[in-house]
Amino acid sequence: MTNSMNNVHEINNLMGQNFSLVDARILDAYQVSYELEKEDIHRALTVLKNAGFRQLSYLSCVDWPEEDVIEMVYIVMNWEKALHVQLHAKIDRNNPVMDSVLPIFPGAKYYEREAHEFFGVSFPGNKDHEKQLILENWDDMPPMRKDFDPRAYSDRKFTKRPMKRDYEIQDASSNKEREIKREARANALRTGGKE
Amino acid sequence: MILSLVIGFGVALGGFAFQTALGGVNRKIVARLQKRVGPRWYQEFLDIFKLLSKRSVSHGWIFDFGVIMALGGIIGTAMFMPVTENIVAFPNFDNFFIFVYLLAVGMLGMAMSASGSGNPLASVGVMRALTTMVAYEIPFMIVVLTIIKLAGTSSVSGIASFQQLAENNWFMIALPFGFVVAVLSLMGMLGKKPFETYIAPAEIASGPMVEYGGKQLGMLFIMHEITVFIEVSLFVHLFLGGAENIGMFVLKYFLVYASLNLISNVNGRFKIDQVVVFFYKWPLALAIGQAIIAIYLGWVI
Amino acid sequence: MNSTKFTPRTKEEIDRKWWEIGDYFRRNSLWMLMYCTGCCAIELPPAMTSVYDMERLGMGPMATPRQADVLLVTGYLSLKTLRRLIYTYEQMSEPKYVVGFGSCTINGGIYHDSHAVINRLDQYIPVDTYVAGCMPNTESVMNGFVDLMELMKTKKADGWKRYHEHYDWYKENQKAALGEVEVHDEFHE
Repeated sequence: MTNSMNNVHEINNLMGQNFSLVDARILDAYQVSYELEKEDIHRALTVLKNAGFRQLSYLSCVDWPEEDVIEMVYIVMNWEKALHVQLHAKIDRNNPVMDSVLPIFPGAKYYEREAHEFFGVSFPGNKDHEKQLILENWDDMPPMRKDFDPRAYSDRKFTKRPMKRDYEIQDASSNKEREIKREARANALRTGGKE
Repeated sequence: MILSLVIGFGVALGGFAFQTALGGVNRKIVARLQKRVGPRWYQEFLDIFKLLSKRSVSHGWIFDFGVIMALGGIIGTAMFMPVTENIVAFPNFDNFFIFVYLLAVGMLGMAMSASGSGNPLASVGVMRALTTMVAYEIPFMIVVLTIIKLAGTSSVSGIASFQQLAENNWFMIALPFGFVVAVLSLMGMLGKKPFETYIAPAEIASGPMVEYGGKQLGMLFIMHEITVFIEVSLFVHLFLGGAENIGMFVLKYFLVYASLNLISNVNGRFKIDQVVVFFYKWPLALAIGQAIIAIYLGWVI
Repeated sequence: MNSTKFTPRTKEEIDRKWWEIGDYFRRNSLWMLMYCTGCCAIELPPAMTSVYDMERLGMGPMATPRQADVLLVTGYLSLKTLRRLIYTYEQMSEPKYVVGFGSCTINGGIYHDSHAVINRLDQYIPVDTYVAGCMPNTESVMNGFVDLMELMKTKKADGWKRYHEHYDWYKENQKAALGEVEVHDEFHE
């Protein structure tokens, strides 16, 4: 335990000295999370790669429509020290452009293609990022954004089988009590009984 | 002449019917081993007739012609096969080398039509089939040449009647190493596991048969059944002493085919380089050793 | 009282008799294509092995579409799979049958509101019979096969004929859902 906590503190010092962090969180003994500005991401990835984090585990996006940002997430891993470092950066949602990390991690090619296809982020520097990877002949907005309604798309494009509804709910209120109790139980389990 | 032709067709047709029925019975035996019920004994007949009743797609004239050539060649080969001493269609023409030559016509026809279909998997399958043939032929030929030297004749029915003389044992007992080599070669000829590389369903999508459907596949299945009949009958005549009457022939054939099926049921499948390396190691050594023992040293049991 | 004179049968009767004989062979030796589309394919190994033996009905797996009779569409069909499935279905030799497994082929199942999964299979290829369930029980699967054989016996399993007759309707539906049926991906080019 103490060994890995040493690693965590080491990385904390490394990042704190070199970059202006918006947020730094230690999630557990094996995961650390930092939030940076968009321009610092490439330098941070290079510094981490030289410090031994040579595997890019994941590259993806989180969509925040209320704040009008798309948050890019990069997760890198160190094999010798067993530590995952997450880097977050927020970019503008209406024109999402992020420089490609392909020169640093060549394996990011397919991750960036997927991020482009599902979130609409463009990556200048990755010459293949607009080729289709998973969806073929897609004709609508990028489907993982939160204002995409998959049900409306499905209703529009695919014909449904007409089913008749031959049951009715007798007493809607009796279900309501059960639902409230179930919700309270779930909340208690989720937060460990604190709420 | 006409009588010979009629007997020949009878042998071919009877062999086909017998082998097809036996194939269904063997599927049932294998299924019972696996604690299942298994298909009906005439299931293979249903398969073949079902295939002949489907509409099929043709890929050109060489595709169709190859299948017809393969089937015709194999029926022609089966007409020469002696069944017992009395049921021989062409009594002077049942030389062993005639069978070896004519079996190649069937393989050549299938290779021609498989390459005419244009699927690269078919070419891979045909190449593997011919490589397997190169692998098992050489030890088998050495053992059979030993038998021909010992029996003094290369006619199949002559070898069978040589073994039925009073002071001779069957070659299964007289040449034990040769018998082992011949069993392995026979499994390679029939395409049973572990030498099933050239069909390899789900690896190269059944090899040469990948583009066949309907009637051509039905004809290929008939060709395969008659090929099995010819090869196992050859084995019975060469090593188990032929048969005096039909009942003994049926019994010996059934025993050989059923035991081969049981052996192949518990094996996996070799890769093609493993097949060639396997056949050129111990079977070749045993065959050469057997030839030296039997011919030069004269130690025949 | 029947007359004892020889009455020549009409061509339709002779054709029908041949077709009935062919149907007997076809329904007792169905070969299925091992194309496991979705999660319901996991119900096939129990149907093939010891307790619910599929081979006693004559069914067995075959490796390529050209050799197979029955296409088992097991599970949900995404758009990508549907394009390749249409290629596969059109490659099979006739007469051919399609069995839809699972609720996803009937009305979309639990993926009915997804942007990439189709909802009704028989808009795109003709289906002979469905086996409902998510997943169906193995006894339902065997029952489905026996139902298909019954349909073949009473000559109602004519999906392939319907595909020929209503070819334009099927193609129109396919284009509406898929955009185009041709496959363009990195492996084909």
